[in-house]
Amino acid sequence: MQPAIEVHELRKTFKVQRNREGLAGALRDLFRREYVEVTAVKDISFTIPQGEICGYIGENGAGKSTTIKMLAGILVPTSGTVRVAGYVPWRERERFVRNIGVVFGQRSQLWWDIGVIESFRLLRKVYRVPMADYRRRLDELVERLQLGDLLNRPVRKLSLGQRMRCELVASLLHNPSILFLDEPTIGLDIVVKTEIREFLIRLNREHGTTILLTTHDLQDIEALCSRVIMLDDGRIIYDGGLDELKTRWSRGREIRLQFGEQVALERLERLTADLPGASWQAGRDMTAVLRVPADVNLSDALARVVGSGVDIRDIKFMETSTDEIVREIYKSGSASGAERLVGAT
Amino acid sequence: MMFYLGLMWEYFKNYAKTRLTYRADFWIEVVSDLAFQAINLIVILIAFRHTPTLGGWTEAEVVFVFGYFMVPYGIFSCFFDLWNFSERYIVKGEMDRVLTRPAHNLFQILLENMYPPGLIGSFVGLVIMAVTARQMGMTFDWTDLVMLLVLTAGAVMVYFGLYTALTAIGFFTDAPTGILPLMFNLQSYGRYPVTIYNRTMRFVLTWLLPFAFVGVYPASYFLERSGAADLRMALLTPAVGLVFTAIGLVVWNIGVKRYRGAGS
Repeated sequence: MQPAIEVHELRKTFKVQRNREGLAGALRDLFRREYVEVTAVKDISFTIPQGEICGYIGENGAGKSTTIKMLAGILVPTSGTVRVAGYVPWRERERFVRNIGVVFGQRSQLWWDIGVIESFRLLRKVYRVPMADYRRRLDELVERLQLGDLLNRPVRKLSLGQRMRCELVASLLHNPSILFLDEPTIGLDIVVKTEIREFLIRLNREHGTTILLTTHDLQDIEALCSRVIMLDDGRIIYDGGLDELKTRWSRGREIRLQFGEQVALERLERLTADLPGASWQAGRDMTAVLRVPADVNLSDALARVVGSGVDIRDIKFMETSTDEIVREIYKSGSASGAERLVGAT
Repeated sequence: MMFYLGLMWEYFKNYAKTRLTYRADFWIEVVSDLAFQAINLIVILIAFRHTPTLGGWTEAEVVFVFGYFMVPYGIFSCFFDLWNFSERYIVKGEMDRVLTRPAHNLFQILLENMYPPGLIGSFVGLVIMAVTARQMGMTFDWTDLVMLLVLTAGAVMVYFGLYTALTAIGFFTDAPTGILPLMFNLQSYGRYPVTIYNRTMRFVLTWLLPFAFVGVYPASYFLERSGAADLRMALLTPAVGLVFTAIGLVVWNIGVKRYRGAGS
């Protein structure tokens, strides 16, 4: 079975006009413009098999949208090769796009002034979907996303959550095998977010739809993706499972303790001195945090503290959240972070 | 082909539905369009108050050419309303959406911006032609009707090719250019007989920006005054239309490859 998406040494360079300062500069620009080359995507390679849900994350300007646009056939790559669903996207665009669905969270693909259903009807014609297929598909999608009473309302009268659900239907009417989602949950409330996530999981399970999504909401990733590709400054700095990302970058687990008395930090440190990598941090109001590396048994660490006779009122276990991990990776900078991640693979 | 005709109908229906919600706007647009053409006609009529002929053309002949000019122009303005292309599709990035749909991108954009009231101008033009033709005692047979279709198609293609190429400039620079309004002014020269202009202007209007082929050249096919040379120019209309349409599409397709999307 051929992979859904194959990307090899993909690069995209933009020529950006540089405006000189001041009036004199503007006048000089009139005659001779200066251009700066900006490379948004720097020779990235990856392969996504059919039926996978893959998260594509990175900070703003890391090159996520540029990549997605190249995969969807909107932009022509500067160099490298792309094959999506067996096509070179930009070269055979009109035949290719029947196989994909695209949702840009920030932009609408529906007609603003007419009922949603009219937009769907037009899309049916554009994609040349047979009437019977269209009916079946629409019924299924409308039921899943509970759109029943919205269909006759014009898009401008829908809430963002309602609109986004309609956008999903619009992108799926022609039953694409690959779905590209660029920030599908941006600005939505938690209820709609959950609904959309559940919908996507079911779509993937029942129709085998391959999904590639960019997001800033890491809960999307946790709920949906088995795989994450992390981008920084146009380069891939991580490509693999979400669990691996967590274990490799996690600073271990934390035990938060609330004491009934003032306990000196030295005393606590002495308790766990024989556990390699365990560290303490004192908090306010007689609390302290014990960090335990992944390879140390959690109950061993706890036994040492509890058995020491210190007055403990409350214990909380925390795991480093994906949010924290990702923030950590961004903060650590691209180059060194990349070496650390790639070297460890 | 059937697919695109079907799409045209669907887009038209959506246009109608949208427009019916803003009925007042619709009539204002129609009326202002016709008023604009009426003023141009009045200018011609006033000019002939002062002189019996203009460069050897009688009033009826000039008005006939004016009427003909309105026919392809009406069709063109119905299907080619892209004056805000650069802003809407390039700067705001709506081209992204167009490029992810399985129909030719230029065709989709033309349909999305369809402006059917433009066709009313074509009908008015036909009426003006009929009235002046009667004044001049011209006779029409079925070959004239066929020629009218062929020549109008050619003239529409001249418009289409030229404006497609000019609109495609939006792909190459994001700064707005004043070229489109300039063109729009220049094209109105096509509705007067080219013989009234000097040689340079005549050359420009014939070969470089062939607006003479959207008005006076094809119209003179029908006029009794035309000699062999005029007929030759008239019959050249479809050829010029094809050449310019080809140029327009090539420039457009190069432009689409250079499209870089709006940051989101």
